[in-house]
Amino acid sequence: MANDQTLVASAASDDPRKGLRAVRALRELADRLETLQVERARSLGWSWQEIADVLGVSKQAVHKKFGRRI
Amino acid sequence: MFEQFTKEARGVVVDAQTVARSLHTRTIDTRHLVVALCESDGGTARAALEAVGVSPAALAGAVRADLASTGLDADALAAVGIDLEEVRRTTDATFGAGALEGVAGRGRGARKHIPFTPDAKKTLELSLREAIRLGSKGINSGHLLLGILRSRTPATPVVEEALRTAGVDAPALRTAAEQQSRPA
Repeated sequence: MANDQTLVASAASDDPRKGLRAVRALRELADRLETLQVERARSLGWSWQEIADVLGVSKQAVHKKFGRRI
Repeated sequence: MFEQFTKEARGVVVDAQTVARSLHTRTIDTRHLVVALCESDGGTARAALEAVGVSPAALAGAVRADLASTGLDADALAAVGIDLEEVRRTTDATFGAGALEGVAGRGRGARKHIPFTPDAKKTLELSLREAIRLGSKGINSGHLLLGILRSRTPATPVVEEALRTAGVDAPALRTAAEQQSRPA
């Protein structure tokens, strides 16, 4: 994957295109991981409130996002 | 605008949504329209592509590959120090093999309605303009193809590559599409 050279170069890069693309990729990855973790927590018997507390959002927010499917 | 679409063009728009759903993309952009156009049975656009030697199946395959690669952007993640391969190893271990890929579309993007991106809307508007310009009563898939060729969209690089491979340029394809779209 990225060696130190490219990491340093990217971190120092002030090209908005690179930065924005990274943000988008992070969001996509975070969304997927969130779905996997919430699904698993529910299957292990976690309540919506417990999940919401750890995610730092309201119970309503997490239920609205995942309640229909899980 | 939609009422001006012929049955053929309407089918392409509906199929674009099916393509988006099957590839778990959150939006429908011009690339989805290209895939739907190329994979439809017959139609004006396919005839135009074949007339200039571009294989609709090959173009659809190339665009599908392009769409599939835009989900998890390994290069962009590497740029901020995240090794996607490493992430995948841990998710495979915890959630089962392929979990990170399989979860796409189950998250926020799992809505029933998949929205069109501004570029896809623009493409549809441009195809209406093409139909008017050519004096057609309705928008057919040939006009859609002309709309696709008219502005720069996420589909443009893949379409250009397909044209290069076939040894033709965009004006040639445009001429073919106009010929096929003209009212008999």
